[in-house]
Amino acid sequence: MSADSHALDVCAFWVGETVYGIDVARVDEILPRVVPLPVTGAPPHVEGVVHVHGTAVPILDLRRLLPEGTPPRTAKPKVILARIGRRRVGLRVDGMAGVRRYGEAEIQPGGPVACVLGVTADGCRLLDLRGLLTNRAAEAGAGQ
Amino acid sequence: MSAGPSTMDALLARFRYRPDEESAGLVELPASPLEPDQRTGADELQLLTFGLGSSEYAVALGAVTEILRARALTEIPRARPPLLGMLNLRGIITPVYDPALRLGIPSAVPVCAGPDCERPPRAARILVVRTALGPAGLWVDRVRGVQRVRSGALERPSGGPTGGIVGILRTVDEPCTVVDPEWLLR
Repeated sequence: MSADSHALDVCAFWVGETVYGIDVARVDEILPRVVPLPVTGAPPHVEGVVHVHGTAVPILDLRRLLPEGTPPRTAKPKVILARIGRRRVGLRVDGMAGVRRYGEAEIQPGGPVACVLGVTADGCRLLDLRGLLTNRAAEAGAGQ
Repeated sequence: MSAGPSTMDALLARFRYRPDEESAGLVELPASPLEPDQRTGADELQLLTFGLGSSEYAVALGAVTEILRARALTEIPRARPPLLGMLNLRGIITPVYDPALRLGIPSAVPVCAGPDCERPPRAARILVVRTALGPAGLWVDRVRGVQRVRSGALERPSGGPTGGIVGILRTVDEPCTVVDPEWLLR
Protein backbone atom coordinates (compact mmCIF):
# COMPACT_ATOMS: atom_id res chain seq x y z
CA MET A 1 0.00 0.00 0.00
CA SER A 2 1.67 3.16 -1.10
CA ALA A 3 1.50 6.21 1.11
CA ASP A 4 0.23 8.31 -1.77
CA SER A 5 -3.02 6.37 -2.17
CA HIS A 6 -3.97 7.42 1.34
CA ALA A 7 -2.49 10.87 1.26
CA LEU A 8 -4.74 13.48 2.73
CA ASP A 9 -5.14 16.95 1.37
CA VAL A 10 -6.07 19.06 4.32
CA CYS A 11 -7.28 22.64 4.47
CA ALA A 12 -5.70 23.90 7.66
CA PHE A 13 -6.81 26.87 9.74
CA TRP A 14 -6.26 28.42 13.10
CA VAL A 15 -8.76 28.40 15.93
CA GLY A 16 -7.18 30.08 18.89
CA GLU A 17 -3.60 28.81 19.01
CA THR A 18 -4.36 25.42 17.50
CA VAL A 19 -4.28 24.34 13.89
CA TYR A 20 -7.25 22.28 12.76
CA GLY A 21 -7.76 20.69 9.40
CA ILE A 22 -10.68 19.62 7.26
CA ASP A 23 -10.78 17.80 3.95
CA VAL A 24 -10.05 20.23 1.10
CA ALA A 25 -12.86 18.61 -0.88
CA ARG A 26 -15.29 20.16 1.61
CA VAL A 27 -14.11 23.68 1.01
CA ASP A 28 -15.83 25.79 -1.59
CA GLU A 29 -14.49 29.21 -0.85
CA ILE A 30 -12.73 31.37 1.72
CA LEU A 31 -14.46 34.64 2.43
CA PRO A 32 -12.31 37.40 3.91
CA ARG A 33 -14.89 39.81 5.25
CA VAL A 34 -18.32 38.62 6.24
CA VAL A 35 -20.92 40.48 8.24
CA PRO A 36 -23.68 37.97 8.98
CA LEU A 37 -27.26 38.93 9.63
CA PRO A 38 -28.06 37.93 13.19
CA VAL A 39 -30.75 35.30 13.67
CA THR A 40 -33.07 35.77 16.62
CA GLY A 41 -33.27 32.79 18.90
CA ALA A 42 -30.42 30.91 17.26
CA PRO A 43 -28.02 28.84 19.36
CA PRO A 44 -24.98 30.80 20.55
CA HIS A 45 -22.55 29.24 18.09
CA VAL A 46 -24.63 30.51 15.15
CA GLU A 47 -23.37 33.96 14.26
CA GLY A 48 -26.09 34.53 11.71
CA VAL A 49 -26.69 33.99 8.03
CA VAL A 50 -25.13 35.48 4.93
CA HIS A 51 -26.22 35.46 1.34
CA VAL A 52 -23.65 33.71 -0.80
CA HIS A 53 -24.43 33.64 -4.50
CA GLY A 54 -28.13 33.71 -3.81
CA THR A 55 -28.39 31.13 -1.05
CA ALA A 56 -28.59 31.76 2.67
CA VAL A 57 -25.71 30.11 4.50
CA PRO A 58 -25.48 29.89 8.30
CA ILE A 59 -22.22 31.10 9.79
CA LEU A 60 -21.04 28.91 12.66
CA ASP A 61 -18.39 30.15 15.02
CA LEU A 62 -15.85 27.35 15.40
CA ARG A 63 -14.26 29.30 18.24
CA ARG A 64 -17.36 28.56 20.27
CA LEU A 65 -17.53 24.93 19.21
CA LEU A 66 -13.91 23.98 19.78
CA PRO A 67 -11.78 24.51 22.86
CA GLU A 68 -10.18 27.75 21.83
CA GLY A 69 -7.27 29.68 23.18
CA THR A 70 -6.34 33.29 22.77
CA PRO A 71 -6.29 34.07 19.07
CA PRO A 72 -2.74 34.57 17.84
CA ARG A 73 -1.68 38.13 17.33
CA THR A 74 -1.71 37.72 13.57
CA ALA A 75 -5.33 36.58 13.56
CA LYS A 76 -7.04 37.37 10.32
CA PRO A 77 -10.54 36.03 10.82
CA LYS A 78 -11.97 34.34 7.80
CA VAL A 79 -15.06 32.38 6.92
CA ILE A 80 -14.60 29.01 5.25
CA LEU A 81 -17.54 27.98 3.10
CA ALA A 82 -17.65 24.25 3.56
CA ARG A 83 -19.94 21.46 2.46
CA ILE A 84 -21.55 18.89 4.67
CA GLY A 85 -23.46 16.47 2.50
CA ARG A 86 -25.57 18.67 0.30
CA ARG A 87 -25.60 21.60 2.66
CA ARG A 88 -23.25 24.50 2.97
CA VAL A 89 -22.08 26.15 6.13
CA GLY A 90 -19.76 29.01 6.85
CA LEU A 91 -17.12 28.37 9.51
CA ARG A 92 -15.65 31.31 11.37
CA VAL A 93 -11.96 30.71 12.03
CA ASP A 94 -9.07 32.82 13.30
CA GLY A 95 -6.94 32.50 10.18
CA MET A 96 -5.92 30.21 7.38
CA ALA A 97 -2.87 27.95 7.61
CA GLY A 98 -2.73 26.74 4.03
CA VAL A 99 -3.37 23.46 2.29
CA ARG A 100 -1.19 20.61 3.50
CA ARG A 101 -0.69 17.07 2.34
CA TYR A 102 -0.12 14.30 4.85
CA GLY A 103 0.76 10.68 4.36
CA GLU A 104 -0.97 8.06 6.40
CA ALA A 105 2.12 7.44 8.49
CA GLU A 106 2.13 11.03 9.71
CA ILE A 107 -1.27 10.73 11.35
CA GLN A 108 -1.68 9.61 14.91
CA PRO A 109 -5.31 8.54 15.41
CA GLY A 110 -7.28 9.78 18.37
CA GLY A 111 -7.33 13.25 19.77
CA PRO A 112 -7.80 15.25 22.93
CA VAL A 113 -11.35 16.23 21.98
CA ALA A 114 -14.22 14.06 20.80
CA CYS A 115 -14.44 15.49 17.30
CA VAL A 116 -10.71 15.37 16.59
CA LEU A 117 -10.03 12.22 14.59
CA GLY A 118 -6.29 12.37 14.66
CA VAL A 119 -3.29 14.60 15.06
CA THR A 120 -0.59 14.91 12.44
CA ALA A 121 3.11 14.96 13.09
CA ASP A 122 3.22 18.75 12.88
CA GLY A 123 0.30 19.22 15.27
CA CYS A 124 -2.62 19.72 12.92
CA ARG A 125 -5.80 18.29 14.40
CA LEU A 126 -7.99 16.58 11.83
CA LEU A 127 -11.62 17.45 12.46
CA ASP A 128 -14.69 15.30 12.04
CA LEU A 129 -16.63 18.31 10.84
CA ARG A 130 -19.88 16.51 10.22
CA GLY A 131 -19.79 14.89 13.64
CA LEU A 132 -18.93 18.19 15.26
CA LEU A 133 -21.84 20.04 13.75
CA THR A 134 -24.51 17.37 13.70
CA ASN A 135 -24.05 16.36 17.34
CA ARG A 136 -24.42 19.96 18.44
CA ALA A 137 -20.86 19.64 19.75
CA ALA A 138 -21.93 19.22 23.32
CA GLU A 139 -18.85 17.22 24.25
CA ALA A 140 -16.47 19.27 22.16
CA GLY A 141 -17.57 22.55 23.65
CA ALA A 142 -17.32 21.18 27.17
CA GLY A 143 -13.99 19.52 26.51
CA GLN A 144 -11.80 22.45 27.36
CA MET B 1 2.46 3.43 12.92
CA SER B 2 0.68 2.28 16.04
CA ALA B 3 -2.85 2.06 14.69
CA GLY B 4 -4.14 -0.85 12.67
CA PRO B 5 -5.45 -0.33 9.14
CA SER B 6 -9.10 -0.50 10.24
CA THR B 7 -8.66 2.40 12.66
CA MET B 8 -7.08 4.44 9.94
CA ASP B 9 -9.80 3.56 7.43
CA ALA B 10 -12.46 4.58 9.92
CA LEU B 11 -10.62 7.83 10.53
CA LEU B 12 -10.37 8.57 6.83
CA ALA B 13 -14.00 7.67 6.28
CA ARG B 14 -15.07 10.24 8.83
CA PHE B 15 -12.63 12.85 7.62
CA ARG B 16 -13.24 12.72 3.89
CA TYR B 17 -16.06 14.55 2.21
CA ARG B 18 -18.74 12.58 0.41
CA PRO B 19 -21.53 14.45 -1.39
CA ASP B 20 -24.08 11.87 -0.22
CA GLU B 21 -23.24 12.01 3.48
CA GLU B 22 -26.06 12.59 5.93
CA SER B 23 -26.46 16.17 7.10
CA ALA B 24 -29.74 16.03 8.99
CA GLY B 25 -29.85 17.95 12.23
CA LEU B 26 -26.96 20.06 11.11
CA VAL B 27 -28.08 23.41 12.35
CA GLU B 28 -31.17 23.58 14.44
CA LEU B 29 -32.19 27.01 13.25
CA PRO B 30 -35.81 26.07 12.54
CA ALA B 31 -36.02 24.47 15.98
CA SER B 32 -35.60 27.84 17.66
CA PRO B 33 -38.77 29.69 16.73
CA LEU B 34 -39.49 33.23 17.73
CA GLU B 35 -41.52 33.66 20.87
CA PRO B 36 -44.70 35.26 19.47
CA ASP B 37 -45.20 32.49 16.93
CA GLN B 38 -45.41 29.89 19.62
CA ARG B 39 -48.31 31.63 21.23
CA THR B 40 -50.38 31.65 18.04
CA GLY B 41 -52.86 28.95 18.76
CA ALA B 42 -55.01 27.19 16.25
CA ASP B 43 -58.06 29.23 17.29
CA GLU B 44 -56.31 32.56 16.93
CA LEU B 45 -56.79 34.81 13.92
CA GLN B 46 -54.45 37.50 12.74
CA LEU B 47 -56.28 40.28 10.98
CA LEU B 48 -54.92 43.25 9.09
CA THR B 49 -57.24 46.17 9.75
CA PHE B 50 -57.54 49.03 7.31
CA GLY B 51 -59.81 52.00 6.75
CA LEU B 52 -61.99 52.93 3.81
CA GLY B 53 -63.74 56.25 4.12
CA SER B 54 -65.06 56.44 7.67
CA SER B 55 -65.32 52.73 8.39
CA GLU B 56 -62.88 50.02 9.35
CA TYR B 57 -62.37 46.70 7.61
CA ALA B 58 -60.06 43.76 8.03
CA VAL B 59 -58.72 40.86 6.02
CA ALA B 60 -56.87 37.77 7.14
CA LEU B 61 -53.22 38.68 7.46
CA GLY B 62 -52.14 35.49 5.72
CA ALA B 63 -53.76 36.63 2.47
CA VAL B 64 -51.68 39.81 2.33
CA THR B 65 -48.20 39.48 0.95
CA GLU B 66 -47.17 43.10 0.96
CA ILE B 67 -48.28 46.60 1.87
CA LEU B 68 -47.14 49.34 -0.47
CA ARG B 69 -47.32 53.06 -0.13
CA ALA B 70 -49.88 54.15 -2.71
CA ARG B 71 -48.24 55.36 -5.89
CA ALA B 72 -49.26 56.46 -9.34
CA LEU B 73 -50.49 53.48 -11.35
CA THR B 74 -50.16 52.62 -15.00
CA GLU B 75 -53.33 53.40 -16.88
CA ILE B 76 -55.31 50.59 -18.46
CA PRO B 77 -57.31 51.83 -21.46
CA ARG B 78 -61.06 51.46 -20.96
CA ALA B 79 -60.58 50.13 -17.48
CA ARG B 80 -63.85 50.24 -15.62
CA PRO B 81 -64.32 50.44 -11.89
CA PRO B 82 -63.34 48.75 -9.68
CA LEU B 83 -60.13 48.29 -11.71
CA LEU B 84 -57.98 51.34 -11.08
CA GLY B 85 -54.85 50.53 -12.99
CA MET B 86 -51.86 48.35 -12.79
CA LEU B 87 -48.61 48.21 -11.04
CA ASN B 88 -45.30 46.68 -12.01
CA LEU B 89 -44.34 44.90 -8.84
CA ARG B 90 -40.75 43.75 -9.38
CA GLY B 91 -41.60 42.54 -12.83
CA ILE B 92 -45.03 41.09 -12.04
CA ILE B 93 -47.92 43.03 -13.50
CA THR B 94 -50.37 43.50 -10.66
CA PRO B 95 -53.86 44.92 -11.16
CA VAL B 96 -55.06 47.30 -8.48
CA TYR B 97 -58.73 47.47 -7.50
CA ASP B 98 -60.91 49.79 -5.50
CA PRO B 99 -62.63 47.73 -2.79
CA ALA B 100 -65.09 50.51 -1.95
CA LEU B 101 -67.43 49.73 -4.84
CA ARG B 102 -67.82 46.13 -3.83
CA LEU B 103 -68.57 47.18 -0.28
CA GLY B 104 -71.17 49.69 -1.46
CA ILE B 105 -69.50 52.75 -0.02
CA PRO B 106 -68.54 55.85 -2.00
CA SER B 107 -65.10 55.62 -3.47
CA ALA B 108 -62.51 57.99 -2.09
CA VAL B 109 -59.75 57.04 -4.51
CA PRO B 110 -58.49 60.03 -6.51
CA VAL B 111 -57.49 59.75 -10.14
CA CYS B 112 -54.43 57.60 -9.69
CA ALA B 113 -53.56 56.45 -13.19
CA GLY B 114 -52.86 58.19 -16.46
CA PRO B 115 -51.41 61.59 -17.34
CA ASP B 116 -53.61 63.71 -15.07
CA CYS B 117 -53.21 61.59 -11.95
CA GLU B 118 -52.96 63.26 -8.60
CA ARG B 119 -50.45 62.65 -5.89
CA PRO B 120 -51.93 59.87 -3.71
CA PRO B 121 -52.87 60.82 -0.14
CA ARG B 122 -50.09 60.21 2.36
CA ALA B 123 -51.96 57.56 4.32
CA ALA B 124 -53.17 55.59 1.30
CA ARG B 125 -51.74 52.11 0.86
CA ILE B 126 -51.99 49.25 -1.62
CA LEU B 127 -52.46 45.83 -0.05
CA VAL B 128 -51.05 43.16 -2.29
CA VAL B 129 -53.11 40.04 -1.76
CA ARG B 130 -52.61 36.51 -2.98
CA THR B 131 -55.40 35.27 -5.21
CA ALA B 132 -55.96 32.20 -7.32
CA LEU B 133 -55.07 34.22 -10.43
CA GLY B 134 -51.93 35.78 -9.01
CA PRO B 135 -51.25 38.86 -6.95
CA ALA B 136 -53.73 41.74 -6.94
CA GLY B 137 -53.71 45.10 -5.24
CA LEU B 138 -56.38 46.71 -3.09
CA TRP B 139 -56.28 50.48 -2.71
CA VAL B 140 -57.17 51.41 0.86
CA ASP B 141 -57.28 54.79 2.53
CA ARG B 142 -55.18 53.81 5.51
CA VAL B 143 -53.74 50.75 7.22
CA ARG B 144 -54.27 50.48 10.90
CA GLY B 145 -52.36 47.43 12.03
CA VAL B 146 -52.51 43.77 12.90
CA GLN B 147 -55.06 42.48 15.40
CA ARG B 148 -54.70 39.10 17.04
CA VAL B 149 -58.11 37.85 18.04
CA ARG B 150 -59.56 34.59 19.18
CA SER B 151 -61.71 32.95 16.58
CA GLY B 152 -64.68 33.11 18.96
CA ALA B 153 -64.41 36.88 19.27
CA LEU B 154 -65.63 37.25 15.73
CA GLU B 155 -69.38 37.70 15.28
CA ARG B 156 -70.20 35.58 12.31
CA PRO B 157 -73.26 36.04 10.15
CA SER B 158 -75.91 33.48 10.95
CA GLY B 159 -77.00 31.78 7.74
CA GLY B 160 -78.17 33.36 4.54
CA PRO B 161 -76.03 34.66 1.72
CA THR B 162 -73.18 36.51 3.35
CA GLY B 163 -71.20 37.55 0.31
CA GLY B 164 -67.63 38.00 1.33
CA ILE B 165 -68.34 39.14 4.86
CA VAL B 166 -66.55 36.77 7.19
CA GLY B 167 -67.68 38.44 10.38
CA ILE B 168 -67.68 41.54 12.50
CA LEU B 169 -65.09 42.25 15.12
CA ARG B 170 -66.12 44.36 18.07
CA THR B 171 -63.06 44.15 20.25
CA VAL B 172 -61.46 47.22 18.73
CA ASP B 173 -62.87 50.62 19.61
CA GLU B 174 -64.72 50.78 16.32
CA PRO B 175 -66.53 47.77 14.86
CA CYS B 176 -64.56 46.31 12.06
CA THR B 177 -65.91 44.22 9.20
CA VAL B 178 -63.80 41.23 8.29
CA VAL B 179 -64.01 40.53 4.57
CA ASP B 180 -62.71 37.93 2.16
CA PRO B 181 -60.14 39.65 -0.09
CA GLU B 182 -60.99 37.45 -3.06
CA TRP B 183 -64.60 38.57 -2.88
CA LEU B 184 -63.53 42.22 -3.04
CA LEU B 185 -61.91 41.57 -6.40
CA ARG B 186 -64.69 39.57 -7.98
